[in-house]
Amino acid sequence: MSAAKDPPVLEVDGLVKHFPIVGGLLQRKVGAVRAVDGVSFAIRRGETLGLVGESGCGKSTIGKTVLKLVEPTAGRIVLGGEDVTHLPPGKMWAHRRRIQTIFQDPYSSMNPRLAAGTIVGEPLENFGLSRGAETSARVAKLFERVGLRPEAMRKYAHEFSGGQRQRLGIAKALSVNPDVIVADEPVSALDVSVQAQVLNLLIDLQEEYGLAYLFISHDLAVMRHISHRIAVMYLGRIVELTDKRTLFERPLHPYTEALLSAATAPDPRRRRSRRRLVQGDVPSPAKPPPGCHFHTRCPYALPECRVTAPPLVEVAPGHQVACLRRPPGDAGAPLSIPA
Amino acid sequence: MSAVLEVRDLQTRFDTLDGVVRAVDGVSFDVARGETLGIVGESGCGKSVTALSILRLIPPETGRIVGGSIRFEGRELTALPEHEMKGLRGHQISMIFQEPMTSLNPVLTVGTQIAENVVRHLGVSWSAARDRAREMLDLVRIADAKRRLDEYPHQLSGGMRQRVMIAMALSCDPQVLIADEPTTALDVTIQAQILDLMLELKEKTGTAIVLITHDLGVVAETTERVVVMYAGRKVEEAPVEALFDDPLHPYTRGLMQAIPRLDVEADAAGRRPRLQEIPGLVPILTKSIVGCAFAARCPLATERCRREAPVETDVGGGHRVACWETAR
Repeated sequence: MSAAKDPPVLEVDGLVKHFPIVGGLLQRKVGAVRAVDGVSFAIRRGETLGLVGESGCGKSTIGKTVLKLVEPTAGRIVLGGEDVTHLPPGKMWAHRRRIQTIFQDPYSSMNPRLAAGTIVGEPLENFGLSRGAETSARVAKLFERVGLRPEAMRKYAHEFSGGQRQRLGIAKALSVNPDVIVADEPVSALDVSVQAQVLNLLIDLQEEYGLAYLFISHDLAVMRHISHRIAVMYLGRIVELTDKRTLFERPLHPYTEALLSAATAPDPRRRRSRRRLVQGDVPSPAKPPPGCHFHTRCPYALPECRVTAPPLVEVAPGHQVACLRRPPGDAGAPLSIPA
Repeated sequence: MSAVLEVRDLQTRFDTLDGVVRAVDGVSFDVARGETLGIVGESGCGKSVTALSILRLIPPETGRIVGGSIRFEGRELTALPEHEMKGLRGHQISMIFQEPMTSLNPVLTVGTQIAENVVRHLGVSWSAARDRAREMLDLVRIADAKRRLDEYPHQLSGGMRQRVMIAMALSCDPQVLIADEPTTALDVTIQAQILDLMLELKEKTGTAIVLITHDLGVVAETTERVVVMYAGRKVEEAPVEALFDDPLHPYTRGLMQAIPRLDVEADAAGRRPRLQEIPGLVPILTKSIVGCAFAARCPLATERCRREAPVETDVGGGHRVACWETAR
C-alpha cells in the first residue's frame, strides 16, 4: 500500500441513492428504496477496499453509482481528484478509462458473436488507445498476462470455462490501464479451485500495476484474503470501517460481530461452540427501521437506538464505527445486554 | 450403525448434443440412521445428480440410471414402479433445494402446500393436515404460524421460504432428508439460522440428512461423515474430523488449500499467504476416463494412475480413499 499522503484515487462523500417506488393508477412515486443512505469512503492507489454485507445492504448499488451506471441522488464522487458526480454521459466518457469493472458473471457482459480477442480489444479501440495490428499485439499480451493462451483470441465466449471467462473480463478491464477496478462478486460464481486462481491473479495484478480495487462480496473469507480495509454495510449504511485485521480480531459493531459469528469455517472442531445468532431477517430497505437500522436485531440495543441514527465516528485511529454504544475511545470491551 | 440407505456403484448418464455425459460414474456410500452425511465437490462432480438419482428424479427424456443399486430400508429403488416411488418421495425420503421459490407453488398458500403433502402420504383429513402444517411451522420457528399458513410464498423472505420447505419436507417424518445446497442462496446470518435449525430438527426427529454442498465450511460445521466427489466418482470418504485433519486424496488436499480461510493470518507485513491453485480443468465427462479422473491435475500422479482407476481403500476408522499414491 502506498503512503497515506497520496491523494485517494476514488473518494465518495455522503453518497445517497434512492430508487423510487411507483404505484397506483397514475404510477406516482409512493416511496423510495434507500439503497445507499449516506456513505463515505476513500481508496488509495494499490489498495483494496472491501464492501461486505448481506443482500439488500446497498453494496452493489455503490459499485454501480461510482461507475456512474446509475445517477446518485446526493453526495459526491471524486475520481482522481476530479468531481465526476454530475458529469453528463458525454463528459463522463473521458473518465471511464480510469474506472473499470469486473462482473460476477462475465458471460452476460460479452457479445456472443464476437471473438474473445475482439471483446478484450474493444475498449482499446473505443478510447483510441490503439488500432488494428497494435491492438492485436496488446490484446495478446493481456491474454498472456491473465493466463490465457493468445491463440484463444479467436475463440468465442461460450468456448471458455467460467474461470477463463473471468480472466477475459479481467483482461478487458485491464486493457485501458485503469486506476480503479470495481469488482462486484467476481469469484462468487466460481468453484473454489478456480476461485483461488482468480484471487491470486487479482492480487498479482494489483501489486504489478498499483490498481485500486473496490471489492464487493458477501464472502467474509474471500474478503479477508483480498482486502486491506473493509467496510461492513447494513441497509444502505456503513456500520464499521477499518483495516481487515482489526475488523476480524476486534469488531466493534454488533452487526459485524453477528456476521463474523455466523460465518462457517472449514474446521469441524470450531462448530457449535461459538454461534451467537442474530434473530430474524434483514428488514426491507424500502422500510428501514428508524434510528439505528440494526436495532431490531441487535441484542445490545438501548431505547435510544430506536430513535437516533448513530453517525459513523472514528472510535480509534483508522477505525470507524456507527454505534451509540461505541463512543470515541472505546477500547472494545464486550457490550452488556440490557435487561 | 445400520444403514437406512445404501448406494452401490451408481451410474447415471445424460444424453447431450456433445455425447453421453457420465454424470455419476460408479459411486457407492451408505447413509446410517439419523446421521448427517455430507457430499461435497465442485460443479459438475455429480453430487446433485446422485441426489436426484436416489429420488428417481432424473428427467427420463435426457437421462437415466444405467447401473448400480440404491437400497432404501432393503427395498431396491432403481426397480421400483413409479407409483410406489411417488408414495416414497416426500414421505420416507424428502428433499429440499437451493432456491425454495422454484419448488414452492406460487398460487397456493403455504399451509395448503404443506397440508397437501400430509393428506397425500398419511391419508388424514384436511383439517388434521392443516393442524399438522401449523405444528410444522411452529417447529421450524416461524413466528405467528397461524397467520403464515394463509400466506403465499412471495410474501415470505428467502430464509422463511427455506423454513417452509424444511417444514414440508419433515411433515411426514421421513427417514432421510436430502438437502441440496439448502443455504447457498441465503445470506450469512440466515444460513447460520437454517443450518442450526436443520441440525436441531435432526436431533428431535432422528431423520438422517444427506447434505449436498460445495462449501467446505458448511460441511465442517454440520456433517458427521463426508463423501468427496470428483468428475462423477467418489474420491474420498471419511468422518468429518479425519477428513479435515488428514485429507488423503490429492484433490481433497487441493480443495482445502485453495479456500481462503478466516482463521489463517497474514504475515507481519500484512501479505496474504498465496492460495494454492489446482492447475488445469475438470475432465470432460463425455469421454470415458481411463485411470484416475484426477490424474491430469494431480502432483503425485504416476503412470499407473493414468492407466488404472484406483481402487477404494480403507485406511482405518472408516476413512476411505481412492488413490494409488496416498492410500498406504
